Amino acid sequence: MIVCGALVVPPTSPVYTPHELAHKRVALDYGNGTAYAGLQMLEGAMPREAVTTCAAATSPAERFAGLMRGDFEATVLQEPWITVAEQAGCRLVSTTFFHGTWVATPDVSVEAYAALLRAITRAVRLINADKRRYVSYFIRDWPGHPEVAELRPHDFNLGRIQLKDPGPIPEDEARWAWDWMASWGLIAGTFDVTTQINRTVEREAHELAAAVRAG
Amino acid sequence: MAMTMTIERVMAFMGLDVLVAKDEGLFTAEGLDLRLAALPPDEFQSAAEGTPTKPTTNQGKLQARGEAQMFQA
Repeated sequence: MIVCGALVVPPTSPVYTPHELAHKRVALDYGNGTAYAGLQMLEGAMPREAVTTCAAATSPAERFAGLMRGDFEATVLQEPWITVAEQAGCRLVSTTFFHGTWVATPDVSVEAYAALLRAITRAVRLINADKRRYVSYFIRDWPGHPEVAELRPHDFNLGRIQLKDPGPIPEDEARWAWDWMASWGLIAGTFDVTTQINRTVEREAHELAAAVRAG
Repeated sequence: MAMTMTIERVMAFMGLDVLVAKDEGLFTAEGLDLRLAALPPDEFQSAAEGTPTKPTTNQGKLQARGEAQMFQA
């Protein structure tokens, strides 16, 4: 699954581009992919010393509420809260996409992982054939939140819902991610693919799962 | 006999494919009994308690104590 993260400002904000967030507080849920996506969107627009962040709740519902209260200038949201924000008149000043990555214990067998990959591949194809049918999943994740319950399938921008067949992690991308995190002081040590990725299990599982992709 | 695997709970924004596969019986069709485990609410820590270099992510907590075999990061 490809995750979409959007840098969002409230309706009354004078900010229209990510560059204009220099030296302004951007709320990030540190330790989560959306926070790293936020940092990458910001540093693509300004020098690192101009990137100014503050700690925010893990829940995008709380980050959205804080944004609307004016607790900070911007935050990063994911679906369905990007759509909620748009419905509320907020502006997206940047969007980006990133992979979700599976982390497994050593006891996950090749056969079990291959079965998981085959099932997910079939699901990806079902969803991609009719994305609108499945956007209700984003709504059902948030019971008790009226702003989400009010969303209708046609409110969602399907371009932000991207899925692809699962595949091995490209070593370059893993290394770039590691080095980038290290450059921010978020991780220590140097990247060693042999300790981070079990290439044997990964390769054998993907080979076992490959038959469904050819089908 | 079906294989069993427990993964940490996923939400649609990063695991729509997993949720649809489960509801559509696709894991079962592959001989995999996939179970989703959620962190008890009282153990959930907000990222607001963390710092960039010392985050308080909840990802991987169940895996770390042997209650899940996989999680998404």
